[in-house]
Order: sequence, then structure tokens, then C-alpha cells
Amino acid sequence: MVALEADVESAVAAPAARRRRVGPLFIAAIAWIALIASAAIFAGVLPLPSPTEIDMLGKRAPPSAEHWLGNDALGRDVLSRLIFGARFSLTVGLLAPVIGIVVGGFLGMMAGYFRGRLETFIVGGMDVLLAFPPLVLALAVTAYLGQSLANLTFVLGVLGIPAFTRVARAVTLSLSEREFVTAARALGATHSRILLRELLPNVMLPLLAFFLLGVAVTIVVEGALSFLGLGVPPPAPSWGSMIGEGRESLDLAPQLAFLPAGFMFATVLAFNIVGDTLRALTDPRAGKL
Amino acid sequence: MARFLGRRLIYLLPVLVAVTLLTFLIASLLPGDLAVTILGDQATPEKVAALRAQMGLDLPIWERYLHWLWGVMQGDFGRSFRTGETVLAAVGDRLPVSLELMVIAEGLGLLIAIPLAILCAVKSGSALDRFVTGLAFGKLSLPPYLVAILLIYLFAVQLNLLPATGWVPFNEDPLTNIRSFVLPGLTLAFAEWPVLMRVLRSDMIATLQEDYIAMAKAKGLRPARILFVHALKPSSLTLVTVTGINIGRLIGGTLIIETIFALPGIGRLLVGAIYARDFIILQGVVLFVAVGFVIVNFIVDLLYAVLDPRIRHGRA
Amino acid sequence: MTRFRLWALGCALIATAFAAGPAFAQKQGGTLTVGLELDIPGFDPLKVGVYDTSQNIAAALLLETLVKLDDNGKAAPSLAVSWSHSDDFKTWTFKLRPDVKFHDGTPFNAAAVKWNFDRQKDPKNNCRCAFYISNTLSIDAPDDLTVVYHLKDPAVNLPVLLTRPDQNSTIHSPSAIQAKGDDYNRNPVGTGPFVLKSWTAGDRMVLERNPNYWDKGKPYLDRVVLRPLPDSQSRFASLKSGDADLVWADEFEADNIQRAKKDPSLQVLSYAGSGAAVNAFNTKVAPLDDVRVRQALVMALDRKKYSQALTNGLSRPARNPYGDGSWVQCKDDGALPEDPKKAAELIKEYGKPVSFKMLFTATPRGRTNGQILQQFWKNIGVNMEIEQVDQATIPARAFQRKFDVTPWRIVDFPDPDVQMFANFYSKSPLNLANFSDPDLDKALENARVTPDEAKRAEFYCEASRIINKNATWFWTFQNTYYAMARAKVKGVPKMYGGVIDVSHAWLE
Repeated sequence: MVALEADVESAVAAPAARRRRVGPLFIAAIAWIALIASAAIFAGVLPLPSPTEIDMLGKRAPPSAEHWLGNDALGRDVLSRLIFGARFSLTVGLLAPVIGIVVGGFLGMMAGYFRGRLETFIVGGMDVLLAFPPLVLALAVTAYLGQSLANLTFVLGVLGIPAFTRVARAVTLSLSEREFVTAARALGATHSRILLRELLPNVMLPLLAFFLLGVAVTIVVEGALSFLGLGVPPPAPSWGSMIGEGRESLDLAPQLAFLPAGFMFATVLAFNIVGDTLRALTDPRAGKL
Repeated sequence: MARFLGRRLIYLLPVLVAVTLLTFLIASLLPGDLAVTILGDQATPEKVAALRAQMGLDLPIWERYLHWLWGVMQGDFGRSFRTGETVLAAVGDRLPVSLELMVIAEGLGLLIAIPLAILCAVKSGSALDRFVTGLAFGKLSLPPYLVAILLIYLFAVQLNLLPATGWVPFNEDPLTNIRSFVLPGLTLAFAEWPVLMRVLRSDMIATLQEDYIAMAKAKGLRPARILFVHALKPSSLTLVTVTGINIGRLIGGTLIIETIFALPGIGRLLVGAIYARDFIILQGVVLFVAVGFVIVNFIVDLLYAVLDPRIRHGRA
Repeated sequence: MTRFRLWALGCALIATAFAAGPAFAQKQGGTLTVGLELDIPGFDPLKVGVYDTSQNIAAALLLETLVKLDDNGKAAPSLAVSWSHSDDFKTWTFKLRPDVKFHDGTPFNAAAVKWNFDRQKDPKNNCRCAFYISNTLSIDAPDDLTVVYHLKDPAVNLPVLLTRPDQNSTIHSPSAIQAKGDDYNRNPVGTGPFVLKSWTAGDRMVLERNPNYWDKGKPYLDRVVLRPLPDSQSRFASLKSGDADLVWADEFEADNIQRAKKDPSLQVLSYAGSGAAVNAFNTKVAPLDDVRVRQALVMALDRKKYSQALTNGLSRPARNPYGDGSWVQCKDDGALPEDPKKAAELIKEYGKPVSFKMLFTATPRGRTNGQILQQFWKNIGVNMEIEQVDQATIPARAFQRKFDVTPWRIVDFPDPDVQMFANFYSKSPLNLANFSDPDLDKALENARVTPDEAKRAEFYCEASRIINKNATWFWTFQNTYYAMARAKVKGVPKMYGGVIDVSHAWLE
């Protein structure tokens, strides 16, 4: 499920042919993200019924003038829950990888620049973290420390650190050999100057591209946790919990599961497309071809 | 070769120790007093103190860890305080189910990926190639639990062809056993094939451009023979590596699928242990999973070294 | 004269033969697969503390109690054949059934009953089950077939209190426990109609017919397979496909129950029990320490709508802790009216903002209950935060009073005394609400010692009035127990206490 490491692997075995270009798919992806993000931001102002208001006599009601997409199994408005769910999924999806990129980027750059024992230690530490089944760690933390937006974001952020570390380290390694770094060193620049002035700007771009892929993965993992009932505390809606609840009504009202699933798929796909395109465009190894 | 293996082993050992230590720390430091949970309504302060002393919970963490590690090295992973089962028995009962699922999933994944990869490599750049590659990319955005819902809806709810749940042990009824693994296996296979296909495809494209392939064509060898004997084998290196890594990853990754399809595997044992605060089982199972992952990685490194002479001789 | 007598006797015999059993003959043989809700951790009371319903169902097959309930809910002989009591109801003597053996061949006798009791009672063993036998001071075994119970407080109905196949009332083989130690938990040995053949953790228990069972001719089935299927959808799917012959169900699976009712190949078994699903307020914690807040919370509920949203209307609203299925029927139980307007006024009168947490199980059922209650209370201006915990955590948190509001259950039981005393007597460790009222205590004490059923009912109704007025606990729905089975399954008695007893079932 966490296919980030394999993505790095296959990027190493990059095909000779250029894969992604800024095409119509890219535009569509950006458009969807913009649409979903603005709906999420302005959710409070939109003329939507409350996402948590239960209409006890309106279980699984079909679409009507009042409820454009009908009601879910507890009599709550589906469209409203989809949009407020977007707000939650996007918030966690965007905040958690920030932890990853900051901590992972830092550790990766340290490892790639200073090499030696520091590198072995950092890489070893990441291997230890990777040896853990990630869902178990997330389950354990939320089960023991309680479900909250903060705990969830923290756990998902920490789980993303190894992937960012790998990318940062790989990019730093390849950049450290380049002429501009050698030149800076020859001119007597300090380590921090080199790291901040020379390397960081160049590492940022691939990291940012990877960040978008991280957003996609985080939305998926948060969905998994919410699907099991361990993500967002009820009654707050999340696409994952909607899918989990919809599973109970698959034969009576399959749209209750498939609508949020569709939204999640479209959003994750959009982030994957944008991230992958940016990565292809900013990969320093592309220059070698 | 031996020196390479030795170096890998020396590196892996501290990783194993670190994993066990981290597991132990997480299980011990999380809130919730184990003694109070066990005693329930009998939890008077004196009884709690007595039970803690009896279970060694009042010793410093380092001592408890070393006790546990010493036990582990002698094969004693402890007993669940809830059921009295030994960790070994609990894992032993459920590991075969997870393993069967992993093998079937990876196998089905390869079954889908290999023909598609060969097709795309041969017809590289064509509309078909772009379509399949696009499909693979799109599939990466569809997590297993969404695929599971789709498959259940199609095959169990609508068509009533396959069971949504219901598992029997293999020795009791092999046919039903395999049947019960079809949907969960397919679910995971759908998650696996995109990566496998992309990796094999890119390697094959590179191989097919090599000179000796052109020479084989010139010599008049049948295309099928060229493809499968001369092109596929050398291109399989990365595929083998990735398959190995994936299996290692799957060891802990079958959790959601086991829950959805009600399969009595390690994933569900883990979830149950977390919910019941059964620390002993939790520690033992995470240890197994992590060790399994590390060992599989080691074997993959081994295979890689055997297959690629450059690695063997130190030019990693 | 003699000929007439013979003829009358003959008619009587024929009549009893027809009246004794159902019109169709019980078929021998077959395997019954049962889908349980939860996996079973084990059977040793010292290890598992309290049996849940899944354990009770299995225990009904492997183990036995001294007394069982007949079709009218009255005490009938099982391992004990007769009983008598002292005048003050503090001493009860049971005569045991002779020639009964445990599955390991050792004899069932008074010493075995005493041994089981002593082991559970021994403070050194720290058994969580000890609380439930706190009223029994000791058991004597003067001879092989006689046991004498010495009670602390009088119990007018002791025999029916021993009928549930739970951790205290079932008799285990002492030699098996002594021989197996820690391993006994997963290898129970009893006197029941079935013997444990194999047990694959998390997957299934296979029980086989006990050839040496004391009730000759029974059981009818050759084999029972118990499978934990925690997911309600997979349980129902297994029933439909025939993988399971009988599954545990509850009213929360209303859609499936309604589907099963329409399906001619399936049947729905139900039992309207006494008791209810209940919740306790921690009256020592603000804002629940104010009676107006508590009353408002209770009056804010509309149980009909609640039932519609939760179970398509299958749930039966509850007004008191006894319910329609109990012999305690009250003309005036003191139930507060369902009046959200009045409730909102009380909250306003309280003045300060009302906000608290409530415990729920981390299951779809728990979450749905939580969100519905949240909605009712939001409507009167109260903020309730849902705290999801594992089912096993709830008793622990309840015993330690680490909650604002907690769910609980008053289980269907032939006599209300045990649970009423446990939950509402001020000095009981299970007085979850931390509430003390001398009138309430007096009513419960009186009910305990009065042999006359009508007078006892009056005391229990008085207790209900006090509890309802002070709103220390509240009840949502009466207990309705369900099981769904294939049409061919016969011989399942009333699900007393929610236990599905398939020990004397057969397949058509």
C-alpha cells in the first residue's frame, strides 16, 4: 500500500523514453484539485445542510431538493458530508507530509552530504522505522493516545519520514559531486552555507514533487484508518469513514460507499499525476540522459 | 562473496535489536496500566502493587527488556495474559493463513504483470502501451480497501459467485479454501501488479535494445524464443528484487484485507492484541513481522548478489 | 373398576406421549455450524473473569449448571435433581444427580462443586469472577451427592440464579484444571453433552457428541462447530450460503433480520427478555452532579425515533430496568416524560454550558448509538463528545469510575435481585453512578428478603421510581435477543439471558 519506496526504485530504473508531459491530464488534475480545495475551504459558506445533522426518519433517503445526493444510513446529507470530508482528508493529507518533508528532508541532506557514520546511522534508523508494519504503528498510537486530528497528523507524518529521507539523500548524493559544490568548497564556504545556499534550493524541487505524492499516500492511509473506525472521531465526516459506513449498505444503497470512494480516487489520482509530472520535470538525473 | 554477506549481516543485527527495543518501548510506555486492566474490579491499590511486582512491571525498563530478550533467545516469547496461549502458538496458528494470502496475492500479481509487461515492452510507445501504463498508474491511486469493496460488490453481492467471507483450513476442504482466497488475493494482486509491470517493462525495453538481441533476430531465431529465453531472463533482476521486497512488506500489510474478508491471519491477531492491550502478543507478533521483513530483505540482497556479479565483487 | 382404571391410565399415557414432545420426531445426527459474534479467549474463570455471550453459548454445550430453566422460566433439574432451603433462605441444600462423569472420566460429585467454588472465591486467586459469588459465603459437601450453600444475605430465588452457563455456575473438572494448569483455559473439561475435539484460535472450535452423556439419547447432533464471525455482514453471508447453520444476531442488524424473515429457507428466533440497554451517569462529576442536567438529558430522548434510526423500529423502548419480559410489572415506574422542550428549559435553568464525554465501543453499533445521542442532546443545547474504546475497556473504566457517562447492560435474568443490588445499592462496588439514597437501599434490601412475589415487585417498582426521578441511570431499549438460522434447525429453546443453547437441537 505504501508504494513510495517502490516508486523510488522504479525511478532509479528510469526508462529511456520520457513518460509524462504537461498534457491535458495534468490540466484536468490541477483543475480537480483546485475545485475540491475551494469546496473544502468555502464549505462553511456554501448553502449546504449540516453534515452531522441526523434525520432519524430519513435513513438512506433518495436524492431530493433538500438533499441533492440523498442521505446516508443515519439520515445525514451525503453531499455535505462529501465536501466536509474533503476538508478533513485534505487537511490531514497536506499537514502530515509537512512533517515528513521537514524532518526527512533535513535528515536526508545530512546523510547525503556528510556521509560516513552519520549516514549509516540515519539510514539504519530509517530501516528500523520501515521494518514496522505502518498501519500497526498508526493503530497503536490512535488506540492508546486517542483519536484526534493532531494525533492522526502526527502519526502519519512520522510514517512518511523514511521516504522523504531517501529522496533527499539520493538527490543530495548526486548533487554533491557536481561542479558548483566543489567550487563553493574551494572558495572556502562553510558546510551550512553550502547546504543552505547551494544544495537546498536544488533539493527542494524534487522534494516538493515527492511531497505531492506524499499527499496522495496520506489521504489513502487516513482513509484506511477511518475505514476501520480509527481515524477521525465521529461525527466528523471523512471519506474513509464514509466508505466504511457505506460498506454496510452495499446491496441497499451502493452509492453510499462508491461516491466517497470516487471522490477519494479522483483526488488521489490528481495528486499522483501532478506529483509525478513535477518529479519527471525536476529530476536532476534527467540531465544525465 | 562471504565478505559481502558478512558485512550485510553485521549491519542487519543492530537493526534487529533496534526493532525489538522500539517495539518493547512502544508497548511498555503507552498509557494504560496492564495490572489494573488484568485485575478489573479487583484492582485495589495493594493488589495492583502485588501483581506489578509479580509480573516484574516495577523493574526499570532496561531490565525488563533484557529479561524479555533473554526469554526470546531461549524461544520463550511469553504467553497472552488473556487466553494463556503462547505467542508461538498464536503466531503458528495464524501465520500459514497470512502466508497463503501473500503467496497467492503476489502470484496473481505476477500472473497479471508479466504478460502485460512483455506486451508493452514489445509494443513500446504504442497506444496499447500507453493505455496499459496509464492503467497501472491509475491503479496506484486505488488503495486495496477500495478495490475490496468493488470486488465484493461485483462478485459477492451482485453476481453471488464468490464468498465475501468464510474460510476453511486447507486440509479440511482445499477447494473452499482456495475459493475463499480468490477475492482477497485478487484485491492485493491488483495493488501489486502496477509496480511489478512497470519495473519489468522498463528492464525489458532496455534489454531489447541490446546488441545480442539484434544478433539473435539476425540469426533467425523465433521471436518467442528470443523473447522468453534471451530477453526475459536477464531483465528479471529488478523484478525479483521488487517481488521480494513486496513480499516482505506484505508480511505486515495484510491487516485491512484480513479484517474485511474475515481471514484468521497475523494481521487480525495484531489488531485484536492492540484492542485488548495484550502487550505480550503485540510484542511477539511485531517482532515476528519485523524480523521476517529484515530476513526477506537479506535474502533479496543475497539473490541480487548471486545474480549480479558486479555486486558480488564489491562494486555496489 | 380395574378395567376402567387401566383404560384411563392408557389414555393418560397416550395423551402425555403426544403432549410431551413436538409433533415431529427429533432426528439423530448431523453437524451444526454456529456463527458467534466474538472470538473466545478461554474458559478458565480465573483467566477470563467474566464470560461474554459467545463464551456462554459455548459453555452451554461443554459445561453444565446445577439448575436450568424450563420453558416457563422456572427452575428445573440439571446437575442437581432437587433442592430445599432453610426458613430464613440463607441455607440451601441441593441433591446432585448420581452417575455423572466429566469428559475426562472423573466423577462429578459434591466435592467437585465445592472445589470449583472455593477456587473462584479464594482471594489469593484474584478472580474477577469472585464479585458475582460474593453473596455465597461457603459451600459444604457433606456427602458425595449433597451440596449446601451458606449465604450472606437471604436469597428467595437462589436456584434460578444458578441457571446461566456463566463463569460461576458452570462446573469444571477439578482434576483437569489441576493437571493442565495454564493450558486448561483452552482445553475445558465439563459434563456437558459435547466434548471439545479441536480448537483453532480465531477460526473455529469443533465439539463432538459426548457418548457418555448422562441424559441417554441426547444430544441429537453429532457435532457442533463454533466460529467467531465478528463482522455482521459476513455472519449473514455465511448463513445465506449455508456455511453457517445458525448465527448470533442483534437488533442492530435490522436489515438482515428483515431479509431473513422474508426468506423461506431461513428462520428468525427471537426472545423478548427482561432488562435493557442502560447507561450510567457519574453523579460525582460536573455537570452531571446536578439532577436538572441529568433529567434534561433523559427527557431529551425520543425513543421511537431513536429506534427507527438505529434498527428500523425493531428496538423496544424501555422505561424502567425490568421491562415487559420481567415478572416485575409496575403501574407507576416513575419514568420521566420524553419532552425536549422541558429538557431545554432545565438546561437553561442550570445556566452553565453543559459538555461531557461518553464512552462507546469502537464498533459501528457503538458509533451509531453515539451519534444519535449526540444529535438528541445537541437539540437541547448540550455538547457530548464521543469517546470510542474497545469493548474490554468499558468494564475496566467503569469499575474505576473513569467516565462521565458509560454504557452498561442489565441482562435478561430470571430474578432482578442480583443486578439491581450490584448496580444500585450504595455500597456495591458496581454502583457506577456513585449515587447513594437510603430509601433506595431500603427498597432493595426489602425486596431481597421478601418471599412474596407481589410484595417484592412493589419494592422493585419503588426502586425504579427513585432511580428514574433522580435520573442517575437511564434506559434506552429493552433486551430483545435474536438468532438467525436455516429452516432445518429445530429444538433451540428460549434465549434466556441472551444465550443460544443448541445443546438439544437437531436438524430436520
